[in-house]
Amino acid sequence: MAEISDSPPESENTQTQITDSISEFDSKTMRKTKPGAKRLTMTLTVLISFILLSPLLLKSIEIYRAPLPFDEIDSFSSKIESNRLLFPCLFQAIFVGFNFSLSNYEVGEGIRSKMSERDSRCGCSYDYPVTVVLDLADDYVQAERDDLYAEVNAVDFGGKLRGNDEEADEMVKRLVDMYGGEKVYSVVVVNGEEEVKAVVGKYRHAWILGKVSEEDAVVRVAEIFSKVFVNGGSEDGLIHNEFMPVGADGRIVLSFSLLNADPRDWIYDWDFGEIDETLLQPVIEALQPIADVTVESQVLYHTPKASFSYWDDEHGSHIFTTRDLPFFVNSNEWHLDTSVAAGGRSKVLQLVVYIPSAKECPLQLELPNGDLSKTNGFISPMWGGVVVWNPQSCIKDVESKDLVRHMISPQDLLKLFEVLMGQIRQLLGLKSDDLYVGESGTSTLLGSERGFTEWELDFLSRKHFCFNLLSCATTLKSLSKLVQSLPRMIIKDEIGKQVTFSLEAAKSAQNNATVGMYDASAVSSRQSRTLAEDAFFHPSIMSISYYSFEHCFAIYSPFFLPVIMHVLLAALREWKRYKQENRKYLAWKAKA
Amino acid sequence: MPLASTTTLALYLLLLLPILSSATLEEEFHEELLVKPLPDRKVLAHFHFLTEAPVADDSFARHHHLFPKSISQLVKKFHIKAMELSFTQGRWNYERWGGLDPISSQNAKPPGVELWAVFDVPQHQVDASWKNLTHSLSGLFCASINFLESSSSYSAPKWASQSALGSLRYGTLPREAVCTENLTPWLKLLPCRDKAGLSALMDRPSVYRSFYHSQRLHLTASTAPADGLDSGIILEQTLTVVLQPNIQKAGLSFPDEFKIQPSWSLSSIFGRKVNGRCVLAKSSNVYLHVERDLVAQLEKLQKNTDAYADNDGGTDVLRGNLGFEISIKPDRVHRELEKSSSILYEYSIKEYNDTEQFDLGLTWKYPVVWSCPLAPLYASRFLIGSGNERGSIAISLKSTELTKGFVVANNVEEKYGKPQSVTDFVERMSVSPSEDKVSTGMMELILRFPCDIKSAILNIEFDKGFLHIDEYPPDANQGFDIPSAIISFPDFHAGLQFSDDSISKSPVMSKLQEKSPVLLYTEVLLVPLTTPDFSMPYNVITITCTVFALYFGSLLNVLQRRVAEEERLLKANKAPFHRQVLNKLYSRFRGGSSESTQPKQQSSSFITPTLIIKIIFVAGFAVVCQFYLK
Repeated sequence: MAEISDSPPESENTQTQITDSISEFDSKTMRKTKPGAKRLTMTLTVLISFILLSPLLLKSIEIYRAPLPFDEIDSFSSKIESNRLLFPCLFQAIFVGFNFSLSNYEVGEGIRSKMSERDSRCGCSYDYPVTVVLDLADDYVQAERDDLYAEVNAVDFGGKLRGNDEEADEMVKRLVDMYGGEKVYSVVVVNGEEEVKAVVGKYRHAWILGKVSEEDAVVRVAEIFSKVFVNGGSEDGLIHNEFMPVGADGRIVLSFSLLNADPRDWIYDWDFGEIDETLLQPVIEALQPIADVTVESQVLYHTPKASFSYWDDEHGSHIFTTRDLPFFVNSNEWHLDTSVAAGGRSKVLQLVVYIPSAKECPLQLELPNGDLSKTNGFISPMWGGVVVWNPQSCIKDVESKDLVRHMISPQDLLKLFEVLMGQIRQLLGLKSDDLYVGESGTSTLLGSERGFTEWELDFLSRKHFCFNLLSCATTLKSLSKLVQSLPRMIIKDEIGKQVTFSLEAAKSAQNNATVGMYDASAVSSRQSRTLAEDAFFHPSIMSISYYSFEHCFAIYSPFFLPVIMHVLLAALREWKRYKQENRKYLAWKAKA
Repeated sequence: MPLASTTTLALYLLLLLPILSSATLEEEFHEELLVKPLPDRKVLAHFHFLTEAPVADDSFARHHHLFPKSISQLVKKFHIKAMELSFTQGRWNYERWGGLDPISSQNAKPPGVELWAVFDVPQHQVDASWKNLTHSLSGLFCASINFLESSSSYSAPKWASQSALGSLRYGTLPREAVCTENLTPWLKLLPCRDKAGLSALMDRPSVYRSFYHSQRLHLTASTAPADGLDSGIILEQTLTVVLQPNIQKAGLSFPDEFKIQPSWSLSSIFGRKVNGRCVLAKSSNVYLHVERDLVAQLEKLQKNTDAYADNDGGTDVLRGNLGFEISIKPDRVHRELEKSSSILYEYSIKEYNDTEQFDLGLTWKYPVVWSCPLAPLYASRFLIGSGNERGSIAISLKSTELTKGFVVANNVEEKYGKPQSVTDFVERMSVSPSEDKVSTGMMELILRFPCDIKSAILNIEFDKGFLHIDEYPPDANQGFDIPSAIISFPDFHAGLQFSDDSISKSPVMSKLQEKSPVLLYTEVLLVPLTTPDFSMPYNVITITCTVFALYFGSLLNVLQRRVAEEERLLKANKAPFHRQVLNKLYSRFRGGSSESTQPKQQSSSFITPTLIIKIIFVAGFAVVCQFYLK
């Protein structure tokens, strides 16, 4: 072995002393030969190859994670959170029979300044000017002699509008269509001598008749714009995320149940199929852009309510108060069931018609002010609604041998469904009555046979678009947080695809919103939310058995821990020794 | 995976699809209870609920009046043609409780959960539908039916139902514990639940204290009106309970106290009475079934008594009432047509209410011994062999006493005088061997035996395989359950013929009269399988890695060792004291042992005495450690 310092034997040492060529050679501190580097190179090679190969090993035990667009998600969610999601809304006001001293533009600005803008994240942007048509008479004189134009002069027109609201609605629609586009919210104000009457129609317009001053007219128009058309007539147009009864997959199941509290007293049945076809189908179609609505019904028996009621002589009926409402729904006995057909994450809204038993027969809901409720029902947000329906006479059926099924008469059923429809509207965040009481006066809201008027659907679309995008953003954000916090979780390609598609849908929803396409934006926002939820609740994410780092460590440590120790120690020792020997050699060299 | 597999042996396996031919335009509900004294001092109670709904209009599965919404939605969603789900606890005693009557052939079920379903979808979608169905059902009935989802836990019998070829799936979970959480959702499907009517009798402690109880849900849907059948969906829910009545020491005391059957009443066996019917039911009846043999025995008894005291016996009712007394006069009595006939007492509970409760009671006057009609063959299945390598399943078929009479009477058997070989018995055979993680093993046999057969044994040998670590159940050491084999006798029909035609509208009566093939289930087997130590893979990894690391480390050491220098240093440096001592000891050891292991050293150059000494030393140390640590 060459590099071992061949210290000469003792005898030689004496010889060298004698020869005194090198007078003071100390074998402990000096050496004559250069220390060899064979062992050092070997150990270092092993060490370096280990270091170089470790990325290869890490690569080989890597788990597959589909690349998620984390940056895009972050920018999207921060954008959604910071920006307001607004639709462009166009407003127009048509004044008939007024003498404004101001120009059209100035009146428009006046209306705009009166429209109290609320600091809401969603809704309409008021950045667009309010179009004002003042001198209708001039306009129509210049226009061709049209039948409609002939109708429009202050007195005649006002008189015609006084008549049937439904007919007036159609007439105003024709007038409004002349001036504005389809999606313009308009208010027609007709000056007259009679008392003031304000009506909001089925489409996107309203009209005010009667003796109003110019200033009042401007204020009322502004109020109708900002409170009714923009905020849906509800006091708080603000969005309540927790009260949005649409399932994560964009579906609503309306589950109607007829509960016979005690079938031994009487049994009522309904012809729901017909109701479904005649009354509910138009509603379902109207709500199509917001949610896929499916309807199912059942009749249940032996379903007593869980709360108590007491007999009240004054009202001549059994009374349950608003305090009892939390206990009214008997979850033990009312097996309303979630729908098997609409599995997944659909939202089931329970709409319950409760028929009391004979011993609690006329059952009435007492309001806190002591009056009886007219609808005799209540809603529970996100769950559904309950209506109590009392049979005409509360006399128990004579114990008959055969089963007698009373059918609820079509008239009663229609009344019942008006209440239920109101409940559905309330559950979706709209007003259930037909009056809007504002600061400057009340307005009548015309109902649509579809259950929802066009401006209400616009309002719902805006609300849902906003809610969907917000929830999509939060879902994606939590997904990206989760994925980043668990570095060893397997992420399938499917999840990556869903995330990118969700982002794309959200983008297209936003684009559609800026153009003012309500339906399209509601649909694509729904899609984006659904996809985001699908990605978040993907079964592969839900499984907990991912290949954890601890697991990996436990498998490789029995080999690598001892081996690395050996290699490191050997390299260290060799390096130390080499340095030491080299010093010896240098010392000798210096001497020499 | 040959073991965790279904070995379904069928003597011409045929699952029944009863179709009640009654045109239904409205949703209907029937509730019925059939009570039958059993020969071994027990009482059988069979609740039968039937809900029918028309499917003609497209609003089906959306609007319901009586029919449970969840079931019709299942039918619509998964396109189910027929389905049967049963939850059973206990084993039906075929020897004592009979095997040939309609009740036992339809309601005797294997323990645990049994599910079969026929789908109305193209072949390639059947498996997907089945999987979704199992998940839905497990949610609906609070049971782990979803374990039937994996393809290695269900099978597709070929000859079970000729009409549903390929679209039938069958699976069982023998180990599923059945309890009240399964009964409650089942009751939820009834319009009155257990609030009123006959289902109010179902006192949970009594039901679950019983010797055998089986809750069954049978579904038949015929969606296409064109196929000649009535378009409709029929949901049949049955609960069969075998109960031991509390022994009431009745007034009459016989010297042979054990022989007399215990008298019972509904309140004594269930602890409740019937408080009236479920008002929604179109019919609510209670039946008391007196079996053929019991009637014959009672008649014999009556003849004996007539011999020394001839009285006015002769009318039907009196004759039936001779051996026992019924507390309530039946509304109707049905007799079977044949000469040795069974009697069915019918009670309508429409008139009863809270104040006047229905409590049917039966008091025995004389000790009677009778037996139930037995299935043609008595089957039992057991395991043979020991060890963890292979085993075999044997199915023994023994002829019951009744067989001969029946065989002769029905004259169905062929004239095999003397079998030349085994193949003479086997008409058809289909074996689908199990495949790892893919499918279960299943064997279907159609056998034809001569009339004078005494017994036959089928022996199926199998190898026990090793499973993948994922495939072991949580409690792997318990073993694997092999579901019951199904034996069907297609030439025998269980069914009673009653004279009265007008009663055919009652569902229980029509069930009793229906000619259904006799079915028999064998025992569930528990096969122990070698279970590995589940930490073994890691142990293997660890030891392999350690060996590698040792090898690697020592190699590295050898490579960088400087032998000459070390020796020189040893000479030059005076070692510290402890080192010297150690060296001395070492050299002594070496010197001492080198003499004793001299020949070995010569024989192999590899095994040095040092090594041996070391090994012995380490082993000794280990032994001492082991000894003291204990």
